[in-house]
Amino acid sequence: MEPIFLTLYVLMWPVIVAGTLFVITRAFLREWLEARREKRHLV
Amino acid sequence: MAPNGVELQQLSGWLAIALLVFFYGGTFIMTLGIGKKKENADGYMTAGNKIGFGISAASMTATWIWASSMYASATSGYTYGVSGPIHYGLWGALMILFIYPFGKRIRKVAPRAHTLAEVMYARHGRASQLMLAGSNIVGSLISVTSNFIAGGALIGMLTPFTFQQGILAVAAGTLLYSLWSGFRASVMTDFAQVLAMLGAVVIIIPVVFFAAGGTDMFAQGAANVTPQQGSFFSSDAFMNQGAPYIAAVLAYAIGNQTIAQRLFAVREDLIKKTFVTATVGYGATIIGIGMLGVMALYLGITPTGGDVNNLIPQMAATYLGPVLLCLFMIMVIGALSSTADADLCALSSIMMADIYGQNVAKRGKANPKTMLLVGRITMVVATGAGLFFASGQMNILDLLVFVGALWGCLVFPVIASFYWSKVTNAAFVTAVITALAVFIPVRFSWIPVDGLWGLIVDVISIAGIGVVIGLMSFGFFGGRVARIAGIIAAVVAAPFAFGQLHEYAVLSGSLVAYAVSTGVCFLMSARSRMDFDFSTIQDKVGDFDPAEPAVPDATAAR
Repeated sequence: MEPIFLTLYVLMWPVIVAGTLFVITRAFLREWLEARREKRHLV
Repeated sequence: MAPNGVELQQLSGWLAIALLVFFYGGTFIMTLGIGKKKENADGYMTAGNKIGFGISAASMTATWIWASSMYASATSGYTYGVSGPIHYGLWGALMILFIYPFGKRIRKVAPRAHTLAEVMYARHGRASQLMLAGSNIVGSLISVTSNFIAGGALIGMLTPFTFQQGILAVAAGTLLYSLWSGFRASVMTDFAQVLAMLGAVVIIIPVVFFAAGGTDMFAQGAANVTPQQGSFFSSDAFMNQGAPYIAAVLAYAIGNQTIAQRLFAVREDLIKKTFVTATVGYGATIIGIGMLGVMALYLGITPTGGDVNNLIPQMAATYLGPVLLCLFMIMVIGALSSTADADLCALSSIMMADIYGQNVAKRGKANPKTMLLVGRITMVVATGAGLFFASGQMNILDLLVFVGALWGCLVFPVIASFYWSKVTNAAFVTAVITALAVFIPVRFSWIPVDGLWGLIVDVISIAGIGVVIGLMSFGFFGGRVARIAGIIAAVVAAPFAFGQLHEYAVLSGSLVAYAVSTGVCFLMSARSRMDFDFSTIQDKVGDFDPAEPAVPDATAAR
């Protein structure tokens, strides 16, 4: 198998993980700020 | 390339202690902010059934990523080559995805439940409830033990401390922050843990890749890889790793109370979004970690002591500097703690709701304060049991396979119980026991699986393939498509599987469990006169605490 293809195969996962982490963190921060505004517990 | 036998770097004792204090101290401090003066048993189990997307997606992801899955994915990459991590991580991720349509149905019929077994009590009665609860308890205890072992092994390898000291540290740390606030502490700390784990993956994989030689590693290491290991379509990887996992997709999701608990905790309209995000998060993280095993294979690295479980710490200790090694340790400690705390919460919920709430005190008479005490005692006892089993370093993966098959016996009866009004308690119990009775001799080859018996196992297993595909399709597309997909899958698989499948004991054992439980449950239920009214479940399963007036908490959200 071509080394360049294997390189992309190995390095694509951290990129997907970074994207997921961004989505989760953004949602968490929004919920945290909303909870603060409404003066209630986050969970 | 790193030569084999190279001296692995270790963290100093004080640095290791500082990291553990930072991690467990930090998570404990996080939980202090969610303590309530007036404690609540329902909050302790499901956080009031209304947590948001960010925190629930983080929690699902963190819980499903356990330390053993990281190690197993790397092992799969090392053993089966480039397709190995896919055959571990992808199917593990789909366990989350395929359960969400069923999850939506379960929430619809039992919006304020705490455990799946509790709903089975309302649907069928005690026998079905205790079967599911019993399998959940065994599964969670195995998971707790496995995570303690992973922590002990990591600390034993990367620090001057021993394995025993390692398991004691992770057990005490996890119990410390889980004990007081239960599920609320678990989901709250999951966000910090997911941040550490996913963040570490984003950094560590590329760093190890470039430190190990980058693209040249694949050019120079091609001789270390067999044609099967170098192929994305490896039949070895599929038959030995992927296929048993496909069969287990629904079983692990149905049998795992940690998933059910999050299903009951998340706001109902956010179930799909949460589960899809967790699927992507888990899949990419675990497949990414599996790349360490693929790289080790190309580099020609031999695992320390011949134990493939040492691969990940070995790769980290070889290619990461001190700072990233600390990050790596936090990543694994985060993975094992987030799953261990979820299992402690799952065990406490089962003891609180299923054992005390439904069987000892009876609904309506359960004292929430006693429930909380039961939950906390359960956590302490479960931690002690996990420590006891972990100290003996039992071969828990064999146990896990066994419990997985037990869950396989439960899948059809549980799912059918939520959709088909004719399923009876007798059908449920008989189906599970019969399937287990056939599974055990097949899985452990008590009767030699060859000749006529081998062919019979093949036929039942082919039916099992149809059941697995049918059930997977049913959640998304309904009964008609499920029946067609199941029949097509069985017919297409038959020419390849007949005469062959019985040689793969793990796979055929699981498929037999599915097929037999489905067949018995279907035949007994089809003949029954029961016409269960699903709307009665929500009257039987609900909050244990008395309703409180909604008063905003001025001290909250700090």
